[in-house]
Amino acid sequence: MAVDPLVRDAVIYASTLSMLSLGLTLTYMTTKVPNFAHGSLATVGSYTLLTFASVLKLNAYYSIPAAFLISGAVSAAFYLLALRPLINRGAGLLHQMIATIAFELVLIAALNIYADLITQTFRVQSRDVLLRRFDVQIEGIGPGVFLASIAFVAVTLTALVLLLHRTRFGVAMRAAIENPMLAGTLGVNVKLVYLFSWFLAGGLAGVSGVLLGLHYQQDPAFGSRMLVSIFASSILGGLSSIYGAVLGGFTIGLVEIYGIFQLSRAVGGWILPYRIVFPLLIMAVTLLVFPKGLSGLQLSGITARLRKGGGKGA
Amino acid sequence: MIDEEALRSAYVFLTYLLAYLAIYLIVNLSLDLEYGKSGIPNFGKVLSVAAGAFVAGSIPGRLLGYLFNVYSGVSGITDPVVAECIRGLSPQKPTILDRMDYIEDNSIIVICINKVLYANPVLSIGILLMTLLMAAAVGAALGLVASYPALRLREDYLAMTLLAFGEFLTAIGYYTRDIVGGTLGVSVVDPFGWVGGEFRFLSATLIIAAVAGLIVLYVRLVSRSPLGRALRAMRDQEVAAEVLGKDTVALRRNVLMVSSAIAAIGGALWAFYAGGLIATAYDRATWTFLPWVMVILGGAGNEVGVLLGTSIYVTARALIDQYKGLLEPVLPFSVVWLDRLLMGIVLIVILIARPQGILPEKPVYPLGRARIRRIVEAVKSRSSS
Repeated sequence: MAVDPLVRDAVIYASTLSMLSLGLTLTYMTTKVPNFAHGSLATVGSYTLLTFASVLKLNAYYSIPAAFLISGAVSAAFYLLALRPLINRGAGLLHQMIATIAFELVLIAALNIYADLITQTFRVQSRDVLLRRFDVQIEGIGPGVFLASIAFVAVTLTALVLLLHRTRFGVAMRAAIENPMLAGTLGVNVKLVYLFSWFLAGGLAGVSGVLLGLHYQQDPAFGSRMLVSIFASSILGGLSSIYGAVLGGFTIGLVEIYGIFQLSRAVGGWILPYRIVFPLLIMAVTLLVFPKGLSGLQLSGITARLRKGGGKGA
Repeated sequence: MIDEEALRSAYVFLTYLLAYLAIYLIVNLSLDLEYGKSGIPNFGKVLSVAAGAFVAGSIPGRLLGYLFNVYSGVSGITDPVVAECIRGLSPQKPTILDRMDYIEDNSIIVICINKVLYANPVLSIGILLMTLLMAAAVGAALGLVASYPALRLREDYLAMTLLAFGEFLTAIGYYTRDIVGGTLGVSVVDPFGWVGGEFRFLSATLIIAAVAGLIVLYVRLVSRSPLGRALRAMRDQEVAAEVLGKDTVALRRNVLMVSSAIAAIGGALWAFYAGGLIATAYDRATWTFLPWVMVILGGAGNEVGVLLGTSIYVTARALIDQYKGLLEPVLPFSVVWLDRLLMGIVLIVILIARPQGILPEKPVYPLGRARIRRIVEAVKSRSSS
């Protein structure tokens, strides 16, 4: 007996969303700038999958390491070529955010050009394309991407916990996040930590893109459209803890797929087009009631806030 | 002997360029009022532009439909022109004789209503003005809503919040059919057509350009007024502005309401100009990110800079469009993506090399230079005597 398609859908979406929001939170914690191009980094992964499966005719899962490296390299290149020079020149937060907008415009244009190129060169459909047929089928479960997305979250979290708590580099990383000046004084290469976090965030986005591509219809703007959910998850997570981001991603992902389906059974199908309202609503409530997000949550704090009548915002 | 063909294509190119320039100038000035003058980073610009366009796409056509009573069968239609037009089109779809739906039979309704509008300039202008007023009201309301987070959140949180909420209308407009036709889009009634077929685009362009001119004038006047100085004080030293008695809460709220109303007027004009709209055309890259690129490129806080930034992008875009035929056989992809690629790269270079933009903001003199000089002279002569 295969897994319920709705559960499958919800788990795949929620896992990838949690990893995307982890990446966004990681770069936010290190360089303090929200990356407006984070969604499109996932699309880079989706098009790596498309290239591997449709063009090169390789096993779809071989594209996972490739997507990790490519998206990671693209993200790291942005940090090195645009963000670091800006930070060195003392550019304000706003100009850094605008740099990520420029990055998004370049990525969207590059992805569209790439989609045109592979269609013209290899006669392969590259827009509104469903790649589910390249997935493996597992007896008793269904498509392999279901297990792969669970494994992705489990492996990433285990590796991160080991990295951050058991290695010298991980401890240096935490120190650089906690207090960059002091860490720098103690000999931590803070810039290397920042570069690594951009690479890792991009890499995780790339793998998320592969998994999303194995399940959802792809076009060059797919990841970009997920940005609202990624922001909502990260804000729900508090933008200050990678575990909070994972929790936020799962919450928003499950609400967006499973919650709205149950709601549509209760109130009728008219509610389905209003899916975007749910991440926005959760985001607004988070900012109003507990602006530090799930990771800053203490029950007594919330009740005190509610008694005072709403928070003052982040 | 002037080549008539070349003249004609130059005319088409220039009207297109002017319309595009004017519409982006409206949106970019509204962003400049928020960010350049007042320091509010609005990354949800698309929301008010889409709101204006959706008002133009959903309200005037529906309303005229009710006015002529087109929805409940052809026999009840009050206007003979509309009734005849619908009878004429009924072989395509016989059910329209009994009942019509604004979205379902959108193109038929709009075609037939346009026939009345073409013959009736007063009604056309009335519809145009009414729609622009409604768009401005809806925009102002959205600006009021946006001022709630804008007063409370830090810069980065505010950017994320406004960006996320900016997607709201576009997403809902695309997935629901009832507002602007969902995935199929709608046709928009044409309040410019009465000028006569040949000059329709020219007159529409000139009207949009006139509105853009008025808004340039308005922003310039605000910038030179005490209000403009209060906004800049709030942007540069908020605490100092508050100490000097400026109500920064009210200032932020009012700026967001006015600028969102302006952006919504821009959205409505663009929908009228194009004669149709689909929700996906109102995405954040086109109406949030590109305006930011143009404002930063030209120079935020300086209307001349904004005009320059807008001209650079619009001209580049129009030239790429114009020479599509030459580029497309050479390049193995659609050239429409070139402008975004170039703008993204140019923006990063500008941010690193000249973050204040090509034309940085200059001190604004509330009085003319000549008058200031005369006052200085007068003071000097008095102190020396």
